This record gives sequence, structure tokens and C-alpha cells, in this order.
Amino acid sequence: MISIKELNYFYPVKKADKRQALNNLNLKVAPNTFFALTGPNGSGKSTLFSILSGLSLPKDGQITIDGLDIVRHQAKIRHMMGVVFQSPALDKHLTLAENFQIHGDLYGMEPSLLQKRLDEDLSWTGLKDRLGEMVGTLSGGMARRVELVKALLHRPKILLMDEPTNGLDPGSRRDFLDMVDNLRRERDMTILMTSHIFAEAERADEVGILHKGSLLASGSPKELTKRLGHEMVVIQTSKRKHAEFLKTKLSKKTGIKVWQRDSELRVEKVDKKTLDDLLSHYRDRFNEIAIKRPTLEDLFIHITQEKEES
Amino acid sequence: MVNGVISMAKRELVRFFRQGHRVVGSIAQPIIFWLFLGSGFGASFQAPGLEGVSYTEYFFPGILLMVVLFSGIFSTITVIEDRNQGLLQGILVAPVPRIAIVFGKVIGAMVIGLLQAFLLLLTIPFLAIEPGFAGILMVILGLIIAALGFTALGFLIAWNMESTSGFHAIMSVFLLPLWMLSGAMFPMTQAPVWLEWLMFLNPVSHALLLIRMPLYQPISELLTSSQYIIAFIVAIIWAVGCLMLALSRVNRQQCSA
Ligand SMILES: Nc1ncnc2c1ncn2[C@@H]1O[C@H](COP(=O)(O)OP(=O)(O)OP(=O)(O)O)[C@@H](O)[C@H]1O
Ligand SMILES: [Mg+2]
Repeated sequence: MISIKELNYFYPVKKADKRQALNNLNLKVAPNTFFALTGPNGSGKSTLFSILSGLSLPKDGQITIDGLDIVRHQAKIRHMMGVVFQSPALDKHLTLAENFQIHGDLYGMEPSLLQKRLDEDLSWTGLKDRLGEMVGTLSGGMARRVELVKALLHRPKILLMDEPTNGLDPGSRRDFLDMVDNLRRERDMTILMTSHIFAEAERADEVGILHKGSLLASGSPKELTKRLGHEMVVIQTSKRKHAEFLKTKLSKKTGIKVWQRDSELRVEKVDKKTLDDLLSHYRDRFNEIAIKRPTLEDLFIHITQEKEES
Repeated sequence: MVNGVISMAKRELVRFFRQGHRVVGSIAQPIIFWLFLGSGFGASFQAPGLEGVSYTEYFFPGILLMVVLFSGIFSTITVIEDRNQGLLQGILVAPVPRIAIVFGKVIGAMVIGLLQAFLLLLTIPFLAIEPGFAGILMVILGLIIAALGFTALGFLIAWNMESTSGFHAIMSVFLLPLWMLSGAMFPMTQAPVWLEWLMFLNPVSHALLLIRMPLYQPISELLTSSQYIIAFIVAIIWAVGCLMLALSRVNRQQCSA
């Protein structure tokens, strides 16, 4: 459904010559897939979204959406696309109904069709009786729901969402994702979503990890976590500097690979007994040693750190 | 496309009327200005070639122009607010051509200014001028042409601006002097030659003539007056030019460096 080949994107920057935000990016999203894109801050996720949504034009590389070239068939593609941006895109000085109306007008929807869809789509939001209220009076999470409803009104085949659950409480976040899941089942929709929350990404069919503008890894959450081997040992310390200390000790003594994230260390494929013995002198520097199944988050830390170090 | 334009223009109006302070401010300010200066200069005022015209009447077209220019241009400031609030990106990804955004904004802002000018036109029966129905239509035509050009200019500037304060600064540095030097406040007949040139080059002067002349002179005289015809042509060129610039600027999509 979405195919990106050898895409580069540069921003003009005053001091430096230019800043590369996307670097020879290749990415394929199959029809009716829920694809979650994750990656550190500044890795180019929003840049990719602005290109896919038609805000910025790519200069090289090739992007096709449903087989259509993104530059040559802009108008057609825009109709197929629903976009939820990282920053809110509602008019706070207008009511919910007025915001939806403008969307309907921009997407060439008949008023009766708009009305019918609003009746259908608003039920899950709990906002049906607040249509006449100003968007400014909604809570952040409510406004996000409104944005999602709005993005879906013209029944896009592709839904792009840039950190859509930003600012939602855990309950709303789950509701929101359940909703997205249901929609996808009901409507044959391809979803490309970015997220920093791994519990969210794990719900996707496919996950991609973006780093400095290129795709480091992609696959189903299961496939990806398998890459890390079956189990990991996690050493929890109380302070970052303790973690750093233990990391150097361990790598010096054994040569095994250790990943650090704040006050936490992850060690691959070592049995707990050996580790206990190794660390017996440093009891006061850590709280516990546990064995965990690797998660997407582990993979993320693993491969981004590996990349930074190389 | 047409629905998109109407929808966006309507949005400008709804937002304007919802912000009570904006409505009161933009209507009250020129009226106070007009009455204040009118009564201050009333007795001593004597414009060459306009004997018997009091200052209140002399200043009237200037105030009309001020209303459409300033409120039209300042309404385009919403372009900057929209961008900063993230609203603009939502519109830019919609399947409407980008020129619809220009027309939507410009028409919306223009109507806001024109509505206020119409309110002022209601005072004509109480003034010592008798433009007649046809004359008033000509005034309205002039107001529309002037509003179109300067609102498009406002849009163009706002599109390239990041902050609303920068926009205010540019406008008070350029727009206010242009308006003052247009002859809106004082007749500039005995001005030095360089000032006369400046006035001739000043698009606001021409816009002013389009509004002032039909108020004082019968239409038959206007259509044979070279001054009026030149003003008309200049104002049209100005309006079309500004609009074209705005359209071509907006059509330029952000591109990889
Ligand atoms: N308008 C811009 N001008 C210049 N550089 C930019 C611009 N927008 C983004 N960048 C740069 O491009 C790179 C990628 O930014 P982008 O916003 O795509 O990252 P992101 O993955 O969305 O990050 P986040 O997780 O923080 O949202 C960064 O180095 C950023 O500084
Ligand atoms: Mg981002």
C-alpha cells in the first residue's frame, strides 16, 4: 500500500549546509496492515509523515501509495489519506460541529453524508452532546478523539498518525487503540502510526525502528524480539553511576555485551548463577537481578545503542 | 474547491465575530478617530479646490479606506496563528488546491473590513455630501478593489512570518505611513515635488481617490477624469499583482534542500 524507495530528505539550516532528516530510507507497508514506526527523537518520523501526507515534496527516491506516485497523483492520494498530526490541528475558537463541517467542505463531502458519518463515528467518543461546544473547552484527550474522528470522516484507505496518543491517560490510550484496531478490521484500512510507547507498538502487525533517517529493523513484534535471543538478564541498580561502574566491570571481566539504560543494565545469554558470582563483590551497587523475556523496548535500546557505538 | 473557499472564508468571519474585543476595537477605533479629528479641525479646515467641504467630510473617505485596509490586513494575521496552532497543516493536506486557501483567507478578511465600511456608509445621510446611489456603488467598488489588493498583500506577508509581533511591526512601519501620506488626513496639494512623486507611487493614494472622488463628484465627471481613470488602473494592477504574488508563493511547496 505504501512503498518508499531510497528516500532522502534535507532541511536547509542556516549555520550548517543542510541537515539530513531522512537517509536512503526504504519502507514497505502492506495493505490493511497496522504499522508502528518508532525511533528516538529527531530520527525523522515526523519528516516522513510530512512527505507522505503531502506537506513537503520529496526530491529524490520514489514513493507510491496504492501504486500511485506521490508527486504526480497528489490530489487523488489526498482523498485516500487521513492524517493525525503530532501537534493538534483543530480550531479552538470554533465548535466541534464547525470543525467537522470545515473538514467536510475541504474533502468535498455532502452535508447529509457528513451528518450520517458523524452520527456513526461519535458514539465511541462520548462527545455527541458536546458538538456545539468550543473545541477549547475540551480536555486534551477529548480533543485527540475529535481529531481522530475528523481524520476518519472521509473514510480514508490510509491513516497516518504521528504520536496520536500523546497526552492521553493510560485508559484513554487503550480505548483509542482498541478503536483504531476495530476500525481497521471493519474498514480495510492501512495504518501507519508513530509512537514512543512500546506497549503500543507491540499491538501493531509490524514495527519499524527508525534511526537517523533510515530503517534499522522491521518485522512483526514477535520476529523482532526473537532477534535478541530468548531471555535476558536485567540488573537493576539505584543510580546511573552504579550502572556505569558495573557495566565496565562486567565487560572487562567477561567480554559479554552489556547494554545500559539509565540505572538499568541488560545482559544477553548469561546464566544467572555466573552473573551472581561475578557481581558478588558489588552487592551494594545493585538492587536486583532478574530474568526477563526481551521486549520491543529491549530491541530498541539494543540496536540504537549498537548503532551509536559503531 | 468552491466549498473549501466559502468554508474557510466563513470561518474567518465566525472567528471575528466571536472575539468581541476584536469587533469593538476595529469598529470603534476609526470612528473615534474620525469624530475626534473632525471636531478638532472642523472650523479651521480649508482644502484647496474643495471649498465648503468640512474636515469631517474630507476625512470620511480616508476613514473608510482605513477600515478596509487595516482590518483586512490585520485579519490575515490569522494565517500566522493558524500555522502556529498547527491548523494550517490540516488544511494543507486536504484535497483542495492551495490557491483555495489564499482565496478563502483573503475573501474572509476582505468581508470583515467591508462590513465595517458599510456600517460607516450609513452615516452618509448625516454628512454634507450627496453621492447618490450610483456614487455609493462606485465607492463600494473602490473599497472592494482596495481591500482585495491590500488583504492579499497582508496574506503574503503573514505567510512568510513566524510571529504575530513581527507582522504588527511591519504593518505599523509601512502601512500607517503609506496611509498618512496618501492624502487621507490632509490634502497634499502644496507638497514639495518629491512628496508628490511619493504620493503618486503610493498605492494607497490611488485607492483613496477611488473612494473619495465618487463621494464628491458626479459619475459623469469621474469617467472623463484622467486622475480617476489612472487611479482605477493602478488599483486594479496593484490588486491583481498582490493576489498573483500570494498565489504563487503559496503554491510553492516545501521541498527537500
Ligand atoms: N523545519 C525544520 N527545519 C530544520 N530542521 C528540521 C525541521 N524539522 C525537523 N528538522 C530536523 O530533522 C530531523 C528529524 O526531525 P523529525 O521531526 O522528523 O523527528 P521525529 O522523529 O519526528 O522526532 P520526535 O520523536 O521528537 O517527534 C531532526 O534533526 C530535526 O532537527
Ligand atoms: Mg515527530
